[in-house]
Amino acid sequence: MNLKAAYARAMEMLYLACIVVSAISLVLITLVIPYGVFMRYVMNSAASWPEPFAVLAMVLFSFVGGAAAYRANVHICVQMLTNAVNPVMRGWLAKLADLGMIAIALFMLYFGAQLVKVTMGQTIAEFPSLSVGITYLPIPLGGLFTLLFILERLWIGPPPPGSIMYRDQPLAE
Amino acid sequence: MVDVLILLGSFLILCMIGMPVAYTLGLAAIIGSLWIDVPLEAVMIQISSGVNSFSLLAIPFFVLAGAIMAEGGMAVRLVNLARIFFGAIRGGLALVNVLASTFFSGVSGSSVADTASIGSVLIPQMVKQGYPKVFATNVTICGSVQAVLIPPSHNAVLYSLAAGGTISVAQLFMAGFLPGILFGACVMGLCLILSYRRGYPKGEPVTLRQAGKIAVEAIWGLVTVFIILGGILSGVFTPTESAAVACLYAFIVTMFVYRDYRWAELPMLLHRVTKMVAMVMMLIGFSAAFGYMMALMQVPAKATTFFVSVASNKYELLLMINILLIALGTFMDMAPMILICTPILLPVILKFGIDPVHFGMILLVNSGIGLITPPVGPTLFVGCAIGKVTMEEVSKELWPFYGAMCAALAIVTYVPALSLWLPNLLTK
Repeated sequence: MNLKAAYARAMEMLYLACIVVSAISLVLITLVIPYGVFMRYVMNSAASWPEPFAVLAMVLFSFVGGAAAYRANVHICVQMLTNAVNPVMRGWLAKLADLGMIAIALFMLYFGAQLVKVTMGQTIAEFPSLSVGITYLPIPLGGLFTLLFILERLWIGPPPPGSIMYRDQPLAE
Repeated sequence: MVDVLILLGSFLILCMIGMPVAYTLGLAAIIGSLWIDVPLEAVMIQISSGVNSFSLLAIPFFVLAGAIMAEGGMAVRLVNLARIFFGAIRGGLALVNVLASTFFSGVSGSSVADTASIGSVLIPQMVKQGYPKVFATNVTICGSVQAVLIPPSHNAVLYSLAAGGTISVAQLFMAGFLPGILFGACVMGLCLILSYRRGYPKGEPVTLRQAGKIAVEAIWGLVTVFIILGGILSGVFTPTESAAVACLYAFIVTMFVYRDYRWAELPMLLHRVTKMVAMVMMLIGFSAAFGYMMALMQVPAKATTFFVSVASNKYELLLMINILLIALGTFMDMAPMILICTPILLPVILKFGIDPVHFGMILLVNSGIGLITPPVGPTLFVGCAIGKVTMEEVSKELWPFYGAMCAALAIVTYVPALSLWLPNLLTK
C-alpha cells in the first residue's frame, strides 16, 4: 500500500472516530438532561452532575464533530464569488481558503494546547477528579484533526465517492 | 475606524474566497486582535466559552428532535391533518402544504427540515394532481419559512444567545406564534388567488370518520409542542430541559408508537445530525470571539452613532434595518447573520426604544426570507432538489411570494403588538 492510500485510509478511520465520539456525546447529553429532570421532580433529589456533564460533552462534540464537518464539507460557505470566476481563478481562491484554514487549525492546536496546560492544575467542583485542562482538550484535538483533514484535501484531494463520509443517507426502500 | 475596517474587511474577504464562515469569523477575530494588540490567548478563551453554556444545549436537542420527527413519519400524518381543513377547496393541496408546514414548524423549528419533509410528501402529490412543478416547489419553500418563527424555533434560541442571554427564550417562543401564523396566512392568501386565477384543481373532501382517525394519529406528534411550551411556561422545565425531553419523546413516539422508522436508519440520522449540529456549534464558538473583537473595537457603539445620525425616528430606522437585513440575507445564511447582526444592531434598536423581543421577530422574518433568496438560500436549494426544478425556474416565479412575505414583514415590523401581545399575556 503506498503512502497516499495509507494516509487516506487513516483519515477515513479518523473521520469515523470523530463522528462516533460526537454522536455518542450527543446521545449521552440527550439522556442525562431528562435524567436530571426525573431526579428533580420524581425522586425529589436533584442531581448536580447532569448539567456540567452535558456542557463537557457539548464541548467535545462541537470541536471533534466540527473537524468531521469540515471533511464532510457541510460548513456554510459563501460561494458567490467562487462560482462566478473561471476555473483557474477558482483554484487559486481554493488554495487561499486552504491557507486560511491551516492558519485557524494551527491557532486552535497551539493556543488550545496552551489553555489546556494553564488550566491543568484546576479541578471542576462537580467532578473533583477531573482537571479543567482535560475539558479544554477537544479544542487542540479539533485543531489537529482539522489540520490532518486539510492536508488530506491538499495532498490527495476530496474523499472518493465510496467514502464513509457519504454513508449517512436514508436507506433505500 | 481602521480597526473596524480590518476586522469586517478581513471577514468579508475570507468569506468571499470560499472559506467556511465559522472559521472565517475565527480568523478575522485573530487578525483583528493582532491589529489592536489583544493577546491571542484572550481570543481562544472567548472561543472556548462560546460553546460552554448550558442554554446552548437547546440547539442540538431541537435539531435532533426535529430530525427524528421529520424522518419518522410525522410529516405524512401532519399533511393528512391539514387535508381535513382545506383538502376540498380549489387550490386545496397548496393550502394543505402551507398548513402542514405550520403544524410541522411546531415540532421541527427548521425551515429546511420543513421543506425536506413536507416537500417530499406533497410536491409529488401536487404535480400528480396537475399543479406545475415550479408552483408546488415555491409553495413548499415559502410555506416553510414560518418555521423560523413558530416555536420551538432554534433560531430564536440562537438570537437569545447572541443577545448575551438577556432575552428570555420563553418570550421569544411566544412572540413567534402570531407572526408565524400571519406569515402562513399571507402565503395561503396568495395561493388561493393564484389557484383561482390559474384554475388549479380542487381536492377531495375528508369524511368525518377519516378526520377522526387522522387527528388521533397526528395528536402524538403535536403533543411535542405542548411538552416544550407547556413545560417552559409552567416553569417545570428550562428551555434546554424541555428540548431534551421533547427529543426523548420524539424518539419514543417515532420508534414505539408510529413504528415506521427502521432502527437501522438511526446511525445515519445521528451521523447527519452530528455533522450539522457540530457545524452550528463551531459557528457559535468562533462568533463569540468575533463578537468580543467587535465589542473591543466599539462596533455596536459606532453603529448606534451612525444610525442615530441618519434615522430621525424608529420607523425610518426599522425600514433601513429591514433593507440591510434583506440585502445581507441574499448571500448570508441564517445562523451567521443572527450571530453577527444581533450584537451590532441590538444597542441601536434599544437606543430607539424598540423592544428586543419585537426586534428578534423582525430579524427572524428577514433572515427567514433570506433562506429562499438566491444566490445563497438553503431552503431554496433543498426545495429545488426535491421538486426537481432549477433555481432559475423557481426564482422567476417567486416574485408574487416575495410580495406576500414582504407584506407580512411590514406588518410584523410596524405592528409590535403582533409579536408582544402573547408573551406579555402569558409570561406576566
